[in-house]
Amino acid sequence: MRRLLEGSQAVAEAVRLCRPRVVAAYPITPQTHIIERLAQHVADGELEAEFISAESEFGAASLVQGAVAAGARSFTATASQGLLLMTEVLYNIAGMRLPLVMVCANRALSAPINIFCDHQDSMALRDAGWIQIYVESNQEAVDSVIQAYRLAEACELPVMICMDGFLLTHTYEPVVLPAQSAVDEYLPAFHFARALDPARPMTLGGGSEADNYQEYRVAQQRAMENAETVIEAFDAEFGEQFGRHYGGMLQGYRLEGAETVLLVLGSLMGTVRDVVDGLRERGQAVGALRLRCFRPFPAQGLVRLLAEARRIVVLEKAFSPGAGGMLAAEVRAALQQAGSMTPVEGVIGGLGGRDLTPDVIEALLRDGTPADTGTLRFAPAHREQGAPSHG
Amino acid sequence: MNSEQGSGERHFHEIRFHGRGGQGVVSAAALLALAAFEDGYESQAFPRFGSERRGAPVEAYVRISSAPIRAHNQVYTPDAVVIQDAGLLRSEPLLRGLRSGGLVVLNREQRPAESEGEDDGLRWICLPASRIGERHLGRPLPNTALLGALAAASGWVGLPTLERVIASHLAAKGEETVKANIEALREGHRWGLQAEEAAS
Repeated sequence: MRRLLEGSQAVAEAVRLCRPRVVAAYPITPQTHIIERLAQHVADGELEAEFISAESEFGAASLVQGAVAAGARSFTATASQGLLLMTEVLYNIAGMRLPLVMVCANRALSAPINIFCDHQDSMALRDAGWIQIYVESNQEAVDSVIQAYRLAEACELPVMICMDGFLLTHTYEPVVLPAQSAVDEYLPAFHFARALDPARPMTLGGGSEADNYQEYRVAQQRAMENAETVIEAFDAEFGEQFGRHYGGMLQGYRLEGAETVLLVLGSLMGTVRDVVDGLRERGQAVGALRLRCFRPFPAQGLVRLLAEARRIVVLEKAFSPGAGGMLAAEVRAALQQAGSMTPVEGVIGGLGGRDLTPDVIEALLRDGTPADTGTLRFAPAHREQGAPSHG
Repeated sequence: MNSEQGSGERHFHEIRFHGRGGQGVVSAAALLALAAFEDGYESQAFPRFGSERRGAPVEAYVRISSAPIRAHNQVYTPDAVVIQDAGLLRSEPLLRGLRSGGLVVLNREQRPAESEGEDDGLRWICLPASRIGERHLGRPLPNTALLGALAAASGWVGLPTLERVIASHLAAKGEETVKANIEALREGHRWGLQAEEAAS
């Protein structure tokens, strides 16, 4: 049954359906509603889990790290500064190859303080060894959480579901929640072969010297490479069982015959679809491509789907000051590696919740400047009639 | 509403709510979207608040459509603006982008003095929503009365649907709260009908 639910509530329901045994978190906007709802489910006896209110995000991450290491399916969620405070633990979780699933309710970073959406937080963690899935809608958030547990446990890699703060977490929109029996069928119970057990003492993440440390990192890389096919397969299988799938790592929109292609992450794709439809109606050969997965990076798929494009624009909600957009840089690298000479224009926008409106996106697609692809461009603000200048 | 949708005609309405933290702005938007969804439409509701404190200006947006809604942008050209705190008219451009012939549902018995008598091309529905809230809920919460007035003046959602949605959405707050909110909703609805009759 389709229901109108707030994104956070929808995600909490999806987590409940995955039967985690430990949920630990510390509240931070815009993630708090997810954890509140899960706490309520535990209190109401609707979720048989240990709910732990941690003293900080560092504590929350440490708690779920221990819980997964002991073989318990676990969940946490955070955003922004909370994610940064978890950083050290998140690298450890990935290094120990613990199959944890977390939600990052994407939010800008301080300073200055800002509670609204951009992707600086999860992008800062792109090298931590986590699979990163950026969702477009609340339905995709629900479905991706369910896929993520299976993915994490099959690949022994942690998965971060990146969900736009406010734009998704606080938005009521229609979603279908799968039945418990269907989720149980798709997602087998968690049996962690390396689970810590006092009867069988073992160390996880213990000392490693120069003679074998690098091999651990190589193994992480191989696991990520292997995850590419698993992500595709599990998404396709999900589609067969539930009737919804998201293209695995990449989702294109009207790419057939598209000369100009816009690349984005997350919920922005909804607006982009509307803009592309409008331009197509006026006879312009434009299309769009959404990276659902940023880690592992879908280089091969990008090269294949962008083969016909003559102009590529990457619009991203994060960048590295002094360098540029990370997404654009990686798209350029993937194309160049494959011998493509198609110019890639990088544009940064939507920072701190600035709305990327249809007119702004349309202008980016219309006013191409392929000649100066070396210059970092920032998307202009939408000009609202009668609004105060700070709006 | 459902029959209209069946006719294949395209419906698309955008509504912007203005108020202050603690006035139920976010709840009002959610209730409206829930009711539209129950009536068979696609709908979406989301808030925008500066800082999370009681008394701070809050906006919330609703879209109601006969087609799936994909965009998550703010609402810039609303068909209706609901103003839960008339005092905000002095400090914020609350009517910005409002379409010609658009609806203003205002928590105040009359239009603001400066716009009184002027034909601004807008439809003003003015009602003492805080007083209505005070009488039914024991607290000056204006949101359900304003929602009733909006429903009456716009016809975008049905009163029975709003009542059902209030009953289920506020169930956890107890029967009394549900009943009081439905009474406030109905009184607001009557104000809305009267204002429309007076205007026609």
